[in-house]
Amino acid sequence: MKKKKQNRIDKILELPQEVYTNVPKVVITGFDEMIIENFKGILEYEEFFVQVKTHIGIININGYGLTLENMTNDDIKVKGKIESIEIERTVDEN
Amino acid sequence: MFLKILFSYLLGYIRITVEGYYIERFINICKSKHITIWNLKRNKDICLYLNVRISEFKNLRDVAKKTKCKIKIKNKKGMPFLLHKYKKRKIFGILLILIAFFIWLSSNFVWNVDIIEENGNELVNIRQDLENVGLRTGNLKSKIDKKQIINKIRLERKDIAWIGIELKGTNAIVKIVKSDEKPDIIDENEYCSIISNKAGIITKINAQSGTANVKVGDTVKEGDTLINGWMEGKFTGIRYVHAKGEIEAKVWYTRNKKILYNATEKEETGSTENKYEIKFNNFKINLYKKLSKFEIYDTIEAENKIRVFSDFYLPISIVKRTNKELKESKRRYTLEEAKNKGIEELQNDLDNEIEDKNSIVNKNINTYERRRWSRYFCYV
Repeated sequence: MKKKKQNRIDKILELPQEVYTNVPKVVITGFDEMIIENFKGILEYEEFFVQVKTHIGIININGYGLTLENMTNDDIKVKGKIESIEIERTVDEN
Repeated sequence: MFLKILFSYLLGYIRITVEGYYIERFINICKSKHITIWNLKRNKDICLYLNVRISEFKNLRDVAKKTKCKIKIKNKKGMPFLLHKYKKRKIFGILLILIAFFIWLSSNFVWNVDIIEENGNELVNIRQDLENVGLRTGNLKSKIDKKQIINKIRLERKDIAWIGIELKGTNAIVKIVKSDEKPDIIDENEYCSIISNKAGIITKINAQSGTANVKVGDTVKEGDTLINGWMEGKFTGIRYVHAKGEIEAKVWYTRNKKILYNATEKEETGSTENKYEIKFNNFKINLYKKLSKFEIYDTIEAENKIRVFSDFYLPISIVKRTNKELKESKRRYTLEEAKNKGIEELQNDLDNEIEDKNSIVNKNINTYERRRWSRYFCYV
């Protein structure tokens, strides 16, 4: 009930969704740079594979020479030759 | 983020390698403990490279202990390490301070006196006078009393209408407006005669005071008296006056020139060479001691004062000497060419001399040809 009310106010104010919820925002610039906002943690990190955990699922990134350029509390920048991106939804329990 | 990295350069950061099995866990703990790490790079083996600030390195070590990772410092970057490196080099630091001190010291002096004259009227010896009064290069800026200098120089010189001194950096800019010269006041009481300064034929004479000595049509030589400075009356006798009058005369200007048929002309070949010289006040250092490689050349000197900032001149100047190579070429003029050249040059000479060109009555051009040269006369 509370969440719905919030939604209505935010719709009027036209606030971006990632500001008030934990929904991640993924920005891909070219094929070599990717910024993920609102991430929870890193599940796996290899040179060719990065698995990033978010609140609504997991993002898998495949590529070569992947580096985590800068990491702050809620956004991460992945650089390198990105080949493919996969999304795994977490199924709601209720 | 970029600003944060820049800031961490000032505070100092280190690049470390982390070895262990739970690297992902290590990263996640770092994140939850608010330790900023950047430029993470995973090698093909199990080690991970990352940057971290020195202030947060202690916390990172605790995290590493928890996750059973090994930490090795690869290299250190940033200002604190740089300063630490220079801590031992005391002389370097002392010299740096000394240089700053000398720059500050030398900025207190006047190193350049610029004199700007209004309308390009040149004043003779103004630089010398300014130096005598106290505005000379090498004086302390604080000791220059502008008002006093202006007062002194105005007392000393009569031909200055206005003078202003502006101290700008190490420059002293002196602006001067020259006053018009007083016209000579004719003393009417003194008697004198009018004497011709050129030979000519009188066409008009009108004596306002005094008696005319010559008639219209007379030929006068240079130095002849035209109007006598006395008047003769029947009853008054001879009375001496200040002679005044209007006289017009035909005067001729004669010029001649010899032009050789075989002339050597100097021409620029276009190739130049630059030589530099350092000058401290009057002491010169040649940087390039060899003689010029050209046989015949023209030299142009240009002096450039060294300045640190826009208005901060130092008493050092670089003199650039440009040598332009010349080529001598022999040229043979034909009779017609020589004639034209001679007439043209003479025409220019006369044009410069005669101001009132409308009153030219006629021109005569005579040419004499010899085997090696021809002579041209030009009468106006």
